[in-house]
Amino acid sequence: MVQVNGGTVALGGQQIDRSIAPRAARRRRSVMPGFGLTFGFSLFYLCLIVLIPLSAVFVKTAGMGLDRFFDVAFSERVVASYRLSFGAAFVAAGVNAIFGLLIAWVLVRYDFPGKRVVSAMVDLPFALPTAVAGIALTALYADTGWVGQYIEPLGVKVAYTPLGVVVALIFIGLPFVVRSVEPVLDDLGADVEEAAAALGASRLKTFRRVILPAIAPALLTGFALAFARGIGEYGSVIFIAGNMPFQSEIAPLMIVTQLEQYDYQGATAIAAVMLIASFLLLLLINLIQIWSRRRMEG
Amino acid sequence: MGITLSGISKKFDAFTALGNIDLEVRPGEFLALLGPSGSGKTTLLRIIAGLEFADSGTVAFDGQDVSHLPVADRQVGFVFQQYALFKHMTVADNVAFGLNVKKRRDRPSRQEIQARVAELLDLVQLGALGGRYPAQLSGGQRQRVALARALAVGPRILLLDEPFGALDAKVRKDLRRWLRELHDRMGLTSIFVTHDQEEALELADRVVVMDHGRIEQIAEPHDVYAQPASAFVYDFVGESNRLPVTIAGGAVRFGDRELQVGSDGLADGPATLFFRPHEAVIVPDGPALPAIVSLARPKHGVTRIEAQVDGLPHPLEIDVAGANPPKVGDSIAVAPTRSRLFPHPMAD
Repeated sequence: MVQVNGGTVALGGQQIDRSIAPRAARRRRSVMPGFGLTFGFSLFYLCLIVLIPLSAVFVKTAGMGLDRFFDVAFSERVVASYRLSFGAAFVAAGVNAIFGLLIAWVLVRYDFPGKRVVSAMVDLPFALPTAVAGIALTALYADTGWVGQYIEPLGVKVAYTPLGVVVALIFIGLPFVVRSVEPVLDDLGADVEEAAAALGASRLKTFRRVILPAIAPALLTGFALAFARGIGEYGSVIFIAGNMPFQSEIAPLMIVTQLEQYDYQGATAIAAVMLIASFLLLLLINLIQIWSRRRMEG
Repeated sequence: MGITLSGISKKFDAFTALGNIDLEVRPGEFLALLGPSGSGKTTLLRIIAGLEFADSGTVAFDGQDVSHLPVADRQVGFVFQQYALFKHMTVADNVAFGLNVKKRRDRPSRQEIQARVAELLDLVQLGALGGRYPAQLSGGQRQRVALARALAVGPRILLLDEPFGALDAKVRKDLRRWLRELHDRMGLTSIFVTHDQEEALELADRVVVMDHGRIEQIAEPHDVYAQPASAFVYDFVGESNRLPVTIAGGAVRFGDRELQVGSDGLADGPATLFFRPHEAVIVPDGPALPAIVSLARPKHGVTRIEAQVDGLPHPLEIDVAGANPPKVGDSIAVAPTRSRLFPHPMAD
């Protein structure tokens, strides 16, 4: 029995002054060595991969002067593309939050034949080259496609409209929500739901008061990831969007357009605006998350 | 409130969890369901609660058939093994949950709920901790929150699944006594599931010993220990030694050695002889079991001896009183003073 009280170490009731206690008492030792080395490398690596390219965006932008910056980054056409990119990403992430939760629920709570196949299907949008997904979706929803030929007469036009952008982003963002929520839902355990039922709560009240608050932080994480991915998505959207100015042009396309005109500064200006906007949105979501998590862990 | 179970059976795929269980729980009784894991005790408790439904048979509360009522309508308090507290709610909100989810016309006013929660938290001695979150509490405190939450809706029956399983020994002992007092004071009918025989014998009015989905014995704690109904009960409740013996013409033999024990009126054939460690003496010689002492250590004021007997896979355990117990390596002869015979030799 070893107890460390204040400055003394008690071994089996005998008091040993710290000055003659083993060195271990003086120098804090960790069972996991190499913190300095691994942390240093992590920091270096993050700088190299993330921070330097991102700061290059701002450095490049800074060279163009404020007037031109506003001309390029806030021209009417570009602002319309921001609206579409952020709006569509938000709607798609919202749709994914709802249906991703449902899928996660089914995967966690029930056992059924082919569960592994369903689970693998969830990851497909991760694995598929985005351009392939985009072409496939366009083919499906075009006015002659499998789906398009039936919904177009109903007045629902998906391909080459903002709705098409949302559809592509839903496809791309689904795994983020499912994979974020799954472990938390699993951890929540059936007994908590049973406890709510035993206390007289209906299914709806159990979901609203017990399950939803418990998984809210994870759901928000999934939403944030899907949203962030949606804002920057290019490959899968570009085919189905149709790219009509002021209507179905996404912000990443505007960047590419600038690049095609060899206007690198213009491209980085739009990129900088998107970067700041995404950063602020993610910061907001993180703050909400910290707040809700603190309530749970005290 | 009395509970009557008749002909309860439950299967999970091919596994028979419960086979035709009949049980009568008296009003105000504190009943223990005791058995090893897989004996069906938790399944039985969940069927009484309405968290699980039997394939056949009925559950009746005070003569009223509740077999098809879901848990929410049975007015039972259920305390889960891992407590199942709502982590995102304060202790007070946890306790108030059952009242807060009532339909508006049945729901007490906010003041009434607050008063009820305060009263319950006092009852479980957590009066000052209503504002904390479950993560900030110790295991014993969480357990009591779970109890207060279950009691808040005014249940007629309290069901507890391994209520002390996750607690350390000291806390467990205190909580046990406290729970017993609470049960007596509130006039509930309580059933708890445990695999700990000591807990069952100390706490319960009656003990139901279960194995393989069947009830082996229903009796008061003393009788479960002193008059076990089957070899399983003898072996599961309390410490025991067992010897494979044969009965021939009223004589009980271990190998070629005749033992001085009654044949309990069993027919000739193979049987198993059971005796407790304190129900044997060391004799100088005579009709006894020759053994060699392999271990001797103090235990509860006596000396516990383990002694190897030729032809037995396990050593015998015997408690010896007195100042001069045998030492390791000594040759001794062991004679049971009180024993029980059961006809079917138990598989090891």
